[in-house]
Amino acid sequence: MDITIISEANNDSLHPVTAQMVGAASSIGGPISVICPGGFGSVEAAKIAGVSKVISVEGDCFDSYDSMAWSGAIEPFIEGDLVLTSSSTLGREISSAIAAKKGFPVVQDITSLNDGISVTRSIFSGKAIEEVEVSVPCALSIRANAFQPAEVGGEAAISTVNVSQQVSVAVKEALAKAGERLDVAEADIVISGGRGMGNPSNFSHLYELADEIGAAVGASRAAVDTWEEIPHSMQVGQTGKTVTPNLYIAVGISGAIQHLAGMRSSKYILAINKDPEAPIFGVADYGIVATWEESIPALKEHLSAIMSD
Amino acid sequence: MGVAVLLKQVPDTTAKISVSGSRVDESAITKWAISPYDEYALESAVALKESGMDELVAITCGPQRASKCLTEAASVGADRLIHILTDADFMDSCTLQSILSSAIQRSGCDIVLCGKQAADTNSGSTGPGVASLLGYTCVGSVTEISMDGGKISATRLGNTGLEKIEVAGPCVFTFDKGEVELRRPNVRGIMMAKKKPIESIGTKELGIEIGSPKASLKSHFSPPEKPPGQKFEGAGSIEIVVGKLRDEANVI
Amino acid sequence: MVYEALDFYDIDSLLTDEERMIRDVVRDWVEERILPNIEHACREGVFPDEWRADIGEMGILGAPLKGYGCPGLSYTAYGLICQELERGDSGVRSFASVQGSLVMYPIWDFGSEEQKEKYLPRMASGELVGCFGLTEPDYGSNPGDMITKAEDKGDYFLLNGAKMWITNGTIADLAVVWAKLDGVIRGFIVEKGDEGFTAPEMKGKHSLKASITSELVFQDCKIPKDRILPDVKGLRGPFSCLNNARFGISWGAVGAAQSCFNSAKEYALSRIQFGHPIASFQLVQNKLSWMLREITKGQLLAYHLGKKKDDGTWIPEQISLAKMNNVDMALEIARMSREIHGANGILDEYPVMRHMANLESVKTYEGTHDIHNLILGRHITGIQSFTREP
Repeated sequence: MDITIISEANNDSLHPVTAQMVGAASSIGGPISVICPGGFGSVEAAKIAGVSKVISVEGDCFDSYDSMAWSGAIEPFIEGDLVLTSSSTLGREISSAIAAKKGFPVVQDITSLNDGISVTRSIFSGKAIEEVEVSVPCALSIRANAFQPAEVGGEAAISTVNVSQQVSVAVKEALAKAGERLDVAEADIVISGGRGMGNPSNFSHLYELADEIGAAVGASRAAVDTWEEIPHSMQVGQTGKTVTPNLYIAVGISGAIQHLAGMRSSKYILAINKDPEAPIFGVADYGIVATWEESIPALKEHLSAIMSD
Repeated sequence: MGVAVLLKQVPDTTAKISVSGSRVDESAITKWAISPYDEYALESAVALKESGMDELVAITCGPQRASKCLTEAASVGADRLIHILTDADFMDSCTLQSILSSAIQRSGCDIVLCGKQAADTNSGSTGPGVASLLGYTCVGSVTEISMDGGKISATRLGNTGLEKIEVAGPCVFTFDKGEVELRRPNVRGIMMAKKKPIESIGTKELGIEIGSPKASLKSHFSPPEKPPGQKFEGAGSIEIVVGKLRDEANVI
Repeated sequence: MVYEALDFYDIDSLLTDEERMIRDVVRDWVEERILPNIEHACREGVFPDEWRADIGEMGILGAPLKGYGCPGLSYTAYGLICQELERGDSGVRSFASVQGSLVMYPIWDFGSEEQKEKYLPRMASGELVGCFGLTEPDYGSNPGDMITKAEDKGDYFLLNGAKMWITNGTIADLAVVWAKLDGVIRGFIVEKGDEGFTAPEMKGKHSLKASITSELVFQDCKIPKDRILPDVKGLRGPFSCLNNARFGISWGAVGAAQSCFNSAKEYALSRIQFGHPIASFQLVQNKLSWMLREITKGQLLAYHLGKKKDDGTWIPEQISLAKMNNVDMALEIARMSREIHGANGILDEYPVMRHMANLESVKTYEGTHDIHNLILGRHITGIQSFTREP
């Protein structure tokens, strides 16, 4: 079947998920076209192995984001019976709009794809998985890092089209990102420090790491009780806040029962403690026996490398 | 000019989800609630109505128990309540969006608010899909909204960052968690909500023919058991662990 | 985790949708506003004014009263409100009990039309705070012999005496004070600012720390004539107020017990000793099972009593039974829960000792445990055994 992929750009360069979408599409078979909204990343897209052609759709409407305008501009150039986008917010909005316009069913954020078309995706924030059978033609959005990317090595032709599409969303002002720190109870990633940090001023290292990766910073009761500088509002644990992030990073925390209560329902727990017998290793999914002094810089280096993708 | 808010009833987000017989066990759900992002949409819808719109219409599509969402909306100020009764547990996007679009047309509202994605499906197709069917503009990931004259201003997270935007004309706004505090219903609101009738209609009445589904649910299953905890020595292992966080745990 | 209040015999299925919604609104507020801040309020010994404002805004004050801006809810709804407030803290529930049952209620039942219009709507909204002056330093279980005196001076009443253990006293805008006028107990509304009236706070409490407890001191306190409650004489006045408050307390105690039970259960499941969670040990299960039994019995008592209050078929002795039983079981549950928590139970990391300390007051106020016991004894035998006189 003919497959159309709508590429995703990261500023002006192609986001890695585009190659992953091509990889996913290749398992279904059939000619693959890639549409580049606003023309971003079209040259890179043409180099992905397996891509038959690249359509660079350009126009003023791509200067600012209006999901209806973008999908309206792209839609006439979609020939495929299978339309793929990434599952970023933008990807989902575009695929939903195009699917509705074309009368296709859309299934979002898939993590596996088989001929049929049969897909799997997570539901209830990952507490369950559903397997869905979708009739063709259809639209699907792909979760990043769930599929192997296609290799580099293609030589697809790039055609450029100019469109003019009415934009209905008027951008008045770009706002600076709020400087406020994320609240532990709401963040996807929480980094908590315990008494093992040695000194409240050392929490600055945790803040730096948190700012780098968009996490919130919490503290164990022991830290809050020992140091005035660590306010109660940061406390994770029985009388502090209960947190349910995707990733909880416990640094210098022994894992006594009071602290566990507050973070036990985190999806994944990474513990860093220099004491190999610390009870927290009993609940951690990933435990690293090391000092925080060595660990935090390494975490910063590797986490920001991956997360800036 | 009225404002409509689309509400979806989902299991409380802290509820334990268990799978039995290839299906998520609904009978084990002890608490149902309005999907969290929809709550932000509802709060903003009430505030918009208070700032001078004619009426607030709350719309839900689902089984009988979903009417609780409408009662809750009524207790904070919704005027009209529309419940499209369906018992299909899995609905493809085309069907659901046609149902909701018809309901919106029935409500006569040009401004529609909803959550950016539901807490059960985590999809986010409804807002843009409905906008597309109705020919409305769509603004996603909104955190603040206000009305001035005939125009609506909103703060939204666009593809380049946070922006203040303006829209004139019919529009669907999908909501993200915002700074705004969600108002609590009070006793007066709860007692007054009792008096507001719920318009319960079936898909036939809306003029929708539910044909053969374009997507169907094959099965539900529990995510694979987390592997037992892994322990590593020394900060040198951090690169490996971070890789596992991405590839095994998928949390980054 | 969503709070799952123990409800073994499914009282929830007996509630109306509105009762459930109201209960859930209070429950959510307690989760959001009380639980994160209560230990701090307790340590500091304060009742934050925001709580008064929030409670007023929820519209739950004076729950069963009808008209004059009052909610007009069922007694079951009133009970549920008390249950959820006290699951948070007995002091928070005391604020609402005093306001609704001990101040709004007597004005509503015994006050003049002017008094009702003047005070009730603003008390329902939480704008005005009230307190109830019955107990005196030397007259607690024996209010009939109180010595606070009112004298008719023609243009005004002159009040002299002192009241003690008065919840809300120092923050109250008005007080319903019971005093003897020509030897007969009457109710008087004293306002903050009335000449000769002060309400100093009582400090040094180990119980109900997040609640304001005060003395009311009347030294030649002049109050206008229109402040007397016209429609009641004798102990019937204060006792009918107390009956309403006691009803709320019988539900409230269930809330405190539920909180202690939940904490004990969670702790027992996560605390590992000798390689096993302590929830696997028989003696711990015995305790948890006892708690479940007592809470379930208490819930049924409270629920059925609420139905009788709603249809008017209740008698005061039934309220004595419920108050006495439920507070007693809640206090025992708090103690037992503390034991299950081991040393951790003494920290304010867990709510149990706070509940335990609070329930000591709740066991004593609104009629001590022993007094209610004797009320039942008199009901059974027809013979009073409160005093040595025949």
